[in-house]
Amino acid sequence: MTVHDMKHAGSDSARLEAVGGRLSRVDGPAKITGAAHYAFEQQLEGLTHAVLVGATIAAGKVTGIDTRAAETAPGVLAVLTPDTIMELNSASDWFGRQPSEETYCPLVREVTFSGQHVAAVVAETFEQAVAAAALVKVSYDEMPAIVDLSDGSDGIPVDAMTKEWGDAEAAFAEAPVRVCAAYNTPREFQAAMEPHGLIARWEGDQLTIWEPSQWLDGMARTYAEWFGVPFQNVRLVSPYIGGGFGSKALALAHSAVAAAAAKMLGRPVKLVLNRPQNFTSYGGRAATRQTVAIGADKAGRIQSIVHRGVNETAVDGMWVEPLGSVTSIMYATPNFSSKQNVVRVNTVVPGAKRAPGENPSAFGIECAIDELAHELGIDPLEMRLINYAEQDPHAKKAWSTRQLREAFAAGAEAFGWAKRSREPRSMRDGHQLIGWGVAAGTYPVRRAYGEAVVKLLADGSVEVESSSIDMGQGTYTILAQTAAETLGVPVEKVSVRLGDSHFARAGVTGGSRLAGVMTGAVYKAAGQALDELIGLALSDPRSPFHGLQANTLQVKGGRIASPRGDGPEFSIAELMRALGREKIEAKGDTVPASFTPEQRYNNYTTIAMALPHTEGDYSRHSWCAHFVEVRVDEDFGTVRVSRVVSALDSGRLYNPKLAESQWKGGIIMGIGQALLEEGIVDRRHGRIVNGNLADYMLPTNADIPDIRTISVGIPDPHSSALGGKGVGELGIVGVAPAIANAVFHATGKRVRDLPITLEKLI
Amino acid sequence: MTSQTIIDPPEDGHFRNGKASNGASPTTLSIHLTINGRDHALDIEPRVTLLDALRERLHLTGTKKGCDQGQCGACTVHVEGERVLACLTLAAQVEGRSITTIEGLADEDGTLHAVQAAFLEQDAFQCGYCTPGQIMSAVACIREGHAGSDEEIREYMAGNLCRCGAYPHIVAAVRQAARELRS
Ligand code: FES
Ligand code: FES
Repeated sequence: MTVHDMKHAGSDSARLEAVGGRLSRVDGPAKITGAAHYAFEQQLEGLTHAVLVGATIAAGKVTGIDTRAAETAPGVLAVLTPDTIMELNSASDWFGRQPSEETYCPLVREVTFSGQHVAAVVAETFEQAVAAAALVKVSYDEMPAIVDLSDGSDGIPVDAMTKEWGDAEAAFAEAPVRVCAAYNTPREFQAAMEPHGLIARWEGDQLTIWEPSQWLDGMARTYAEWFGVPFQNVRLVSPYIGGGFGSKALALAHSAVAAAAAKMLGRPVKLVLNRPQNFTSYGGRAATRQTVAIGADKAGRIQSIVHRGVNETAVDGMWVEPLGSVTSIMYATPNFSSKQNVVRVNTVVPGAKRAPGENPSAFGIECAIDELAHELGIDPLEMRLINYAEQDPHAKKAWSTRQLREAFAAGAEAFGWAKRSREPRSMRDGHQLIGWGVAAGTYPVRRAYGEAVVKLLADGSVEVESSSIDMGQGTYTILAQTAAETLGVPVEKVSVRLGDSHFARAGVTGGSRLAGVMTGAVYKAAGQALDELIGLALSDPRSPFHGLQANTLQVKGGRIASPRGDGPEFSIAELMRALGREKIEAKGDTVPASFTPEQRYNNYTTIAMALPHTEGDYSRHSWCAHFVEVRVDEDFGTVRVSRVVSALDSGRLYNPKLAESQWKGGIIMGIGQALLEEGIVDRRHGRIVNGNLADYMLPTNADIPDIRTISVGIPDPHSSALGGKGVGELGIVGVAPAIANAVFHATGKRVRDLPITLEKLI
Repeated sequence: MTSQTIIDPPEDGHFRNGKASNGASPTTLSIHLTINGRDHALDIEPRVTLLDALRERLHLTGTKKGCDQGQCGACTVHVEGERVLACLTLAAQVEGRSITTIEGLADEDGTLHAVQAAFLEQDAFQCGYCTPGQIMSAVACIREGHAGSDEEIREYMAGNLCRCGAYPHIVAAVRQAARELRS
């Protein structure tokens, strides 16, 4: 790939609008006035409402479901149970692998986790459905449940996670300085403010689903397979998504219930998970345990890292949270070993939450290196520079770009790191102990192929269409900027339409890949549209430019003229009128020409075709360094984060204003992870007891200080067409260890179990 | 309350979950709500919350449902100018009182309220789902005189959760709007 030089126009507004400009969100006005209709806010004739009944045991059998009272309750249209819901086909997984079972029932007879859907009630109104669902009586034959990681065995080895070079165990044993500790992270939840839910409507064998989605094409594939209808018959609509953080990429059991109910009743069905159900109907981040052992010489140079990890997974589903992902690349080491197991517990299958893998992985290694620094009496920042990896230690390839040294320097400077006193408990303000901590983070550049349609319309306006989505990252805005700059039109002439699976195809929005993929596709489509316009302007006899001896034309500010500026000048609308054209439409994609239709389909509906970040000659990642100040009350052990400075390398930023928001959002989620968030499972019943937004504590405004972010990225030609790397996942990686390290510096206590709550400090 | 709503109880005098005593339809109320200066007539069950009345019956979906349990602030509206959680308010409770939702905040001609404009300028949101509630809270926070410092803004805006983590920009937007509204 090459970085395409974009034209740099002179005026302020042009700079604002161009790629890289700080344009405000183009979808902002709709969101601040209440005009933005999110997926399940569509108003439909004859809409019915479904409410789920969840299992109250974590393991066992459903022995009976008494639906009589519910069936006769006012407004009730149907009570669905495993016996009465229509049979569905099993669907392939997100790699496109065929299922092992033939049929699928989204309501269960065999319960494997508390809250699993057992029945559903459909009624005319939401209130009626809620009331009737409370009348469904389920009886169980309860079995003992495996409640959490501590109940399980050592688990099942995941050989694919093993990474080894040198002789790590021997080198560790011989190292003059050694640290070894265990680091734990609890079950965490995405807790997007918009709950999961959907509206499903059948018209004949055509299914329309309005559902918040990070992956329209992938979810449409699942629905099509469940119901045995052609892929094109399913339309997924998801114009705005109220936060996903990894949770909204798959069609889930509740989605199947709603779509089946709609088919059975012949009426549209709306099903929205209530807040507690949002803690049990899809997986949050798996609880993890890691042991990190580092051996070093007296100068602090790492000789060996031995890493062992475990994450919880479900009884009937597999989730691997790759715990060695940062461990294996952050520091140069001649000897390395990382292995991982999974342990089955009675939970819904864990899932992706912001930076799956990298996030807990960084917690382990970035705390461990801090412990090593303390052991050696070396400044933690210096320690990281001593062991700076000049190339990918695992892949043994050059970094595409790695501005981590620059991040350390810029962050340290802005934070005032040089003024830090080395000893723990050496900085205080009255009864508050002050601690300063640092940690690094990284996230791989995930790449894929995308397509987009760009239309130049008769009135000179532009439409961009893609089945990709905007859940707050700013897709609407950066694609408008890309189209505007490529075509040479003002950004307000561009309207971007996303979130409809009938638009040009796009793969999953996850792993921070969307911006890179889609700006590339729009750049290409817009370029093709522009070429066609200029070609017609020069060759069509009706064109006012026809017969001018120009070999090209230029569009600027929506007006077309010869680049020398000596000929006539027309607006695009005038030219289109002269050409007698309604529109010029171009579909651009970055898909290899050799792809068969099936490969194209798989590219958009599975994750199997994504390009490895170490493909070819380079290892591609974004990088960051977080500097954190905490204040710990000496008597009460309460921890407040009082200052954060983060320097981040996401390559070229398509819109710094929006990128900064995403980074800060990640940092704030990291503060929650470090200090507040923990899914607590009741040991008797295997139930999440804090499955609501008051007891599962998210950071509030009062928990968050001012946060400063500094961009240290440079365009990375190996990572994306326009030079950007990932933004959304990066910010959270390294925040929790930076806070843990700061807490150690403040108190002299090393807390290796997240979250860092007061009882662990006093 | 400027008016009282009398709800006729079922025959045996006890309301039940979803069902009147005789198995007939639950009591339905005819009420009028004044929302954004407009009168709306509704026939609803007494258990319908203001939030569901707005979203499901009146198609005013700008007010969001994040938790339906009074924990997130996404459903914040104004009743007689004060911030109220619509998910913890029955529609029938607010008959005759003046309700403002996000859809009624800008001027008729579309001119944004200072808080809305500041949210856009400061990028005080990402997904936008908590945003109507944040904005309604912010307007009230400023009106209450609780936007004097960043500390105070953080504290008085702490009832509105934002999982996208727009907090620092929300503080900046409230600070900016408070300044503009004062001058
Ligand atoms: S929806 Fe009312 S407070 Fe959350
Ligand atoms: S903007 Fe997404 S929750 Fe606040």
